[in-house]
Amino acid sequence: MKLLKFLIGLCLGLLILILPLSQWQVSDLEPLQTLAVQLDGRKKPLDTVAREQVTQIHGSTHYRQDNGEVEDYFPTYLSLWFNQRDWNQEPFILFSYRPLKEQVGLDPERKYFSFQELISSDLPRIFNSAKQKESQGLDLTRDEREALTVADRMTLMVNIVGNDNLPLIPHPSDIKGKWVGFEAGETYYQPAQMVPIRETYQSMKVIYGEETENLGAMGSNLGTALRELSPEVYPAPELLQREVNFSALHFFGKAWKLYILAFLAMVFGLWFQQLDFYWGAIGIFVAGLGIQSYGFIARMTIAGRPPVTNMYESVVWVAFGVAAVALLFELIYRAKYYLLAAAPLAAASLVLADSLPAILDPSIKPLVPVLRDNFWLSIHVPTITLSYASFALAMGLGHIILGYYLFAPRARDKITSLSRLNYRVLQVGVLLLTTGVILGGIWAHFAWGRFWGWDPKETWALIALLSYLVPLHGRLVGWLSNFGMGVASVVCFNSVIMAWYGVNFVLGQGLHSYGFGTGGSELIIASLVGVDLLFVLAATVRHKGWFAKSESAVSQSPQV
Amino acid sequence: MYERIFRFLGSIKLAVPLLTVIIGILIWGTFYEAKVGSATVQYEVYKSPWFDALMFLLALNLAVAALSRYPWRGPRKIGFAIAHLGIIVIIAGSAAVIHLGVEGVIPLRTDSGLNNEIRVEGDFLEVMDPQGKISQADLFIKPNGSVNVNQVGGISLIGYTNNAIETIKFVEAGTANNLAVRLSFHSNNMGQNLETWLAQAPEEYHKVGIGPTELELVTVANETELKEAISPPSEENPYPWGQLKITSSEGEIGDIPVKENLAQNLTLEDNIQIKIINFWPDFQIDENRQPITLSPLVRNPVIQLEIEAPEGRERMFLFGRGDFAPIRYLVSGEAISSLQLNYEVQLQPTEDYFRVITTPTGELYYAAHSSKGFKSGSLEIGTPTTPGWADFQITLEEVIPHGRPQPQVVPVNNPQIQGIPALLVKTEEKTKTWLPWGEAKTIPTPEGEAFAAFGPKLIQLPFQIALEDFIIDRNEGDDSIAMWTSKIRIEDPEQGIVTQRNVWMNHPTWYKGWKIAQASWDPNDLQQSTLQVKREPVWVTSLTWSGSAFIVLGIIIMFYAPSLNNSQ
Repeated sequence: MKLLKFLIGLCLGLLILILPLSQWQVSDLEPLQTLAVQLDGRKKPLDTVAREQVTQIHGSTHYRQDNGEVEDYFPTYLSLWFNQRDWNQEPFILFSYRPLKEQVGLDPERKYFSFQELISSDLPRIFNSAKQKESQGLDLTRDEREALTVADRMTLMVNIVGNDNLPLIPHPSDIKGKWVGFEAGETYYQPAQMVPIRETYQSMKVIYGEETENLGAMGSNLGTALRELSPEVYPAPELLQREVNFSALHFFGKAWKLYILAFLAMVFGLWFQQLDFYWGAIGIFVAGLGIQSYGFIARMTIAGRPPVTNMYESVVWVAFGVAAVALLFELIYRAKYYLLAAAPLAAASLVLADSLPAILDPSIKPLVPVLRDNFWLSIHVPTITLSYASFALAMGLGHIILGYYLFAPRARDKITSLSRLNYRVLQVGVLLLTTGVILGGIWAHFAWGRFWGWDPKETWALIALLSYLVPLHGRLVGWLSNFGMGVASVVCFNSVIMAWYGVNFVLGQGLHSYGFGTGGSELIIASLVGVDLLFVLAATVRHKGWFAKSESAVSQSPQV
Repeated sequence: MYERIFRFLGSIKLAVPLLTVIIGILIWGTFYEAKVGSATVQYEVYKSPWFDALMFLLALNLAVAALSRYPWRGPRKIGFAIAHLGIIVIIAGSAAVIHLGVEGVIPLRTDSGLNNEIRVEGDFLEVMDPQGKISQADLFIKPNGSVNVNQVGGISLIGYTNNAIETIKFVEAGTANNLAVRLSFHSNNMGQNLETWLAQAPEEYHKVGIGPTELELVTVANETELKEAISPPSEENPYPWGQLKITSSEGEIGDIPVKENLAQNLTLEDNIQIKIINFWPDFQIDENRQPITLSPLVRNPVIQLEIEAPEGRERMFLFGRGDFAPIRYLVSGEAISSLQLNYEVQLQPTEDYFRVITTPTGELYYAAHSSKGFKSGSLEIGTPTTPGWADFQITLEEVIPHGRPQPQVVPVNNPQIQGIPALLVKTEEKTKTWLPWGEAKTIPTPEGEAFAAFGPKLIQLPFQIALEDFIIDRNEGDDSIAMWTSKIRIEDPEQGIVTQRNVWMNHPTWYKGWKIAQASWDPNDLQQSTLQVKREPVWVTSLTWSGSAFIVLGIIIMFYAPSLNNSQ
């Protein structure tokens, strides 16, 4: 019976993967999507180029035209590339920073503007002076940084429109050699080889939008011709196809929906006990985790490197870790609460990774030299981030515990068992973080010549570890009760946020500089932390009975 | 009583506050580091004695805690003991890494040979007193300029500047006549205060340029010369771009003013065609090997011309300044040997100048020129004059009739002047001397001369390293850097070993316990590579590694062995 329910849940989850069925339809443009382009230090399918560049300019993979028709990124990109519409007038460029829009005399209510509108506004004056300041190494104001972002979008768009120099022509012999565009093809090949290719390209330009059904066949011809130029250098069709599929199926987007679904199933199960859909919920959750893992493995094979090398990947990895650790504990203790705490956290992390491409850049770029060719990277970083995931799970459980203290302080048995569950997770976190820090030390011994050097990232990982050790030891001498441990699970997670995100974005100092970035996201994070601390305060007020007259403080529960 | 102290030392009641204090210090430390930089925090916090003391207290707490709970019965206690003793080992190991390791960088170039001197963090002061006794000290200079040492070998360290320049001052020697004057410049609007010396000798103090202006000490022989020197300059130069003079064997045949005849075809004596193609008032060759002019001022005028005579046709560059021979290119025929070409031009005097004029009787006058016109008058010590350059005031500060130049180091406040660091020291006799970075200096004392050298802290390696090649790999089809590799040669004359190694990111090479790793490189100079050289004793490495293993093992046993036991 359990197995049946589990399988029902699992199948339900896999159904989400399959739906909508339209995603499996092969598009007419498919042969064009798998053309290889050498850009930003690697060879990738044109599909990826289109997705990245349209997202960068438009901030979304879909473009709603003036007539209300929604166009996907790939046709949009082709239309730009073939310069097939009057792109000068299309309101395509994302410009979202209001104060700057007002300053340059554009309608602050609008989100997208045409190239023409932007270039004839006051914006060029601002980004020109910003560029000048930037080249002199001066600090830029927020307005100037935003102006530069929009200027970059404009430049990118100009570069795509009618671009005959897209590096589609492979190098004749060197696997790492520089590819060129159609115009420069003769530098590598005979005119006899290049002429038919250029003709195909030209006629594709002509028929685009008119006889799109023929475009596929021509694209396929073009692809074959390009591959034949240099079969050794041109990437294998499977590789290109795999990356196109990876983007199209959008595993991480499906995974978070499944996590939410599993969460809802579990909550319903708790409310209507007679339903008993526990195993069904687990099934859905497993489906989500499976899809996410598959996505992660696919990404690893496409990029050809360890799983966690930048902020985006670490957020996705933490989502995976939270779900995986929770599932493991769930299978051991059957407590329901692991899943309840993990599902929203994992979903939230994935949504975050999906929705902030400016801060968490999902594109696959070559690694910086320090991270290359490295065994330690593939074990040190995943271990550390897995410990962050465990502490995130503990944080989720801490919220549930404090929620009980706030809304149902009399459910002592529940609180006690929850505290026990939480303690197990904290143990895993402490073990993983200790191991991760030590592995980092061993890597540092090889890379930087010393085991420990008080680099800010090292120091903060240690601070995070110590700030969990303090309550864990305090608990042994009775200084912290179950309530105190609940508070600690929530509050100490701030040290993890600081070690994980803060060192890179707030301090911006030290040897781990390959992870640094700016995004203006500090305020959002700080306010989230602030709201969370208010919640802790509310729970504390209730628990200690600071403002209550008659209600006596809840007595200490027995130690775990 | 002792037992209570002992028990407290090993208690959680000590551990928790201690850890809390450490957390607080570390948090503060990372933020402080973002403000003042890593070197200062390393010196003031992580390598400081009080931080060591804190770590020692933690280790003591752990040791007493672990040992006082002996015998360790059951897996939980065993795990606890292993983990906590492991932490002690790792604290000891990490402290040893920080305190006992030797670490430095060695700059290498492909076009220079072997090097065995590594530059270690921090600076160094060496003092040799008149008796030949040598004292040394490692210095740490904080960003605010304070120095960690007060006294080395009888001299006191009383100040530091990171921007000093080496100049000359003149002192009265009482022998040969050599007038030297010290002038000060002051501008309120620009917030500048400058001083400079002018002297009859040496040559370079005769005329000194400050920005666009020129200062000069002019010696006049008589009243007439003085009158001329303090009168406004005469009328305009009739040939501002100079004249081209052409002579043949019969004598001068042409006298061509350049400005009026630029780009004109001129015919001389029926059979000679000449055309001045180009004129550069302030000639220079730019990085693309193209002639350009630096300014519109006639400072280094050059003309390019084409000349055709019966023998042939030639193009040439003629220089108005110095004794540069013309550069000639034959276009057709044979070289023109019958004609002599001379380019004569009067160099444009600097628009802004300030001249100090001295007469045989020792009187001083000044003559100044600026965009506002000409000014002159007599010059007296302490009375400011205004030459007309913005709100600058020039004051004669000092006059030394028999000046002898003496080198000196002075700190400068002007950030536009790129100076070097310098250390201010004081002898017991209160003689103050600035020691420039990277140079030895003599300090006069009553017993004789002492020597002091302030400079980088260097260590000699027992072997030598040469950079044979520096290779950069770029990402495919892109200019971004994928990896850089230094191909080095290590020579060990004592052992007679010569070995070739490659060093790249994450892949250091080891030689006799020294780790050699890629540290940095200069994108603008690909012949240069800086390597990090480091050594730590083997027992230190083994301490940290075994400590690491103990901790992880201990935690696993402590957390999970009891439940394994229970389930059995």
